[in-house]
Amino acid sequence: MSDAIQVKQLRKEFKSASSRSGLKGAFRDLLTRNYKIVPAVNDINFTVKKGEMVAYIGENGAGKSTTIKMLTGILEPTAGEIAVNGMNPHREREKFTQTIGVVFGQRSQLWWDIAVQESFRLLKKVYKVTDEQYDNHMEHVIKTLDIGPLLDKPVRKLSLGQRMRCELAAALIHNPPLLFLDEPTIGLDVLVKLKIREFLKEINEKYNTTILLTTHDLGDIEALCERVIMLDEGRIIYDGELQGLKDNWAEEKQIHFQFIEAVSLQQLQSLPFPFTANWVYDEKSQTYIALLKEEGDHISQLVSAVVSHFKIKDIKIHETSIEEIVRNIYEEGTV
Amino acid sequence: MFYVSMFFQYVSQYMKTRLQYRADFFMEILSDLLNQVVNLVFILVVFGHTQFLSGWSREEIIFIYGFFLIPFALFSAFFNIWDFNDRYIVKGEMDRILTRPIHSLFQVILERIELESLFGVVTGLIIIVYSGVSLNLELAWYDPILFILFSIGGALAYAAIFIAIASIGFWSDAKTSIMPMMYNIGNYGRYPVDIYNKVIRFVLTWVLPFAFVGVYPASYFLRKEEWYAYAFATPVVGVAFFMVSVVIWNQGVKRYRGAGN
Repeated sequence: MSDAIQVKQLRKEFKSASSRSGLKGAFRDLLTRNYKIVPAVNDINFTVKKGEMVAYIGENGAGKSTTIKMLTGILEPTAGEIAVNGMNPHREREKFTQTIGVVFGQRSQLWWDIAVQESFRLLKKVYKVTDEQYDNHMEHVIKTLDIGPLLDKPVRKLSLGQRMRCELAAALIHNPPLLFLDEPTIGLDVLVKLKIREFLKEINEKYNTTILLTTHDLGDIEALCERVIMLDEGRIIYDGELQGLKDNWAEEKQIHFQFIEAVSLQQLQSLPFPFTANWVYDEKSQTYIALLKEEGDHISQLVSAVVSHFKIKDIKIHETSIEEIVRNIYEEGTV
Repeated sequence: MFYVSMFFQYVSQYMKTRLQYRADFFMEILSDLLNQVVNLVFILVVFGHTQFLSGWSREEIIFIYGFFLIPFALFSAFFNIWDFNDRYIVKGEMDRILTRPIHSLFQVILERIELESLFGVVTGLIIIVYSGVSLNLELAWYDPILFILFSIGGALAYAAIFIAIASIGFWSDAKTSIMPMMYNIGNYGRYPVDIYNKVIRFVLTWVLPFAFVGVYPASYFLRKEEWYAYAFATPVVGVAFFMVSVVIWNQGVKRYRGAGN
């Protein structure tokens, strides 16, 4: 029982009606429909150990949300086995939900019209949390998330960042050993993001809470997760350390230069280096971009050579973002 | 026990929400009261011209109408789920419901309670007392108990139909216009069923048991002995249909597809 999540050959198919073209087709659709069975999640396997923080990433429509919904007992799988906290989420739903916390970034757990603390109070009853447990645990949560002053305000008057912090606290009222976060930092400003990351790290350390989160934000993953599971078209295409993903796919650094005087691409390409640097000119921003592998002192060599030959206006070193890594992977197909 | 205490928790949550908007709250009460007055006037105007309707006197018909209002008020206060499909399935609110450790139907019902509708009980009682007095109805000591049982049975029968229809949303995400249609059919239960033809009577008894909300239980208090069997069946029919609807609901939840986000 050291695994928080065990998933074997998990599959979810959706039946979707495809319509025929034209008016004649519309009439035929009326009588007999063409159904297409689309697998949203396609025979995936993985396990998450207790206390792990795992990022579950992929493009929109890759099957992330569907997986999370199966893991939280919202959807029933078409086939395969799931054991989360040792239970079958859908079949033992009511008992199971007692052991998880869920935050859906785009959906609120709180009652819109009443003060946050009233929502907390009702949720406390829903999860059968005693006063003592609540005081012990929530006092800390409220302090760390800095939501004390917000408690007596109705949710509709909170900003998105304030609301998200309250959502997070609401999901933790029963101090669940497993936390699902679907896009917890979407649309938030940097400070709130930092606060939330810090907080998640802290509860993970304090209570050994397992956290599974989906995100598009590389910062979230870097700050929190040692492990990344990447999904594409319902299949897992990468499961391992974040560093591994970066080493394989983010090997190229981009260095952007803008020059005061006109410089041609040939001039730049003729600069001698003991390694290969590819030069690209971006006409729109009038920037020259050097692409090179991040190895040893290559970057400093390149920069010093360019700076000593030409007068530069601006220089920027650009790190590959998770989106670009993901895009690279999609372009190549497999990891 | 847990469910009883949850019920009161949600009711108090509901009251707090209501009290947030004081003006709105009073307006709502006012409009509800007005609604009831309109109902009363409607009955007096419509039935002012009829003396008999296939063996039922005017007062008896008014009595049935008044009785109907009571289970109907209970139903509207606690089973306000006519917009379930839009609100919970299309918008995906059902996701949230399903991540909490309480039966999903129970949560949906509690989130949607509308206690203002209970004013209908008062209107119903006024009508019943008025017509009962003019009919010189006598009450046995156990009649109030039966009255409560029949009202609850009727409300459950009504609720069962609407829960079953709401459950359709789990199978098909297309909007259906069945809900408003059902509200219309539901009105048939306010009138004596023997004015309808046999097929309609059968449907109102065994398929969509709206007759158990009005005529059947009311005929017991009107001492119409030919309907007694139906009248006493009211609580049983209510509970049975309700249980079936919960089974349909539970099956539906398994089919829930969720809304994409």
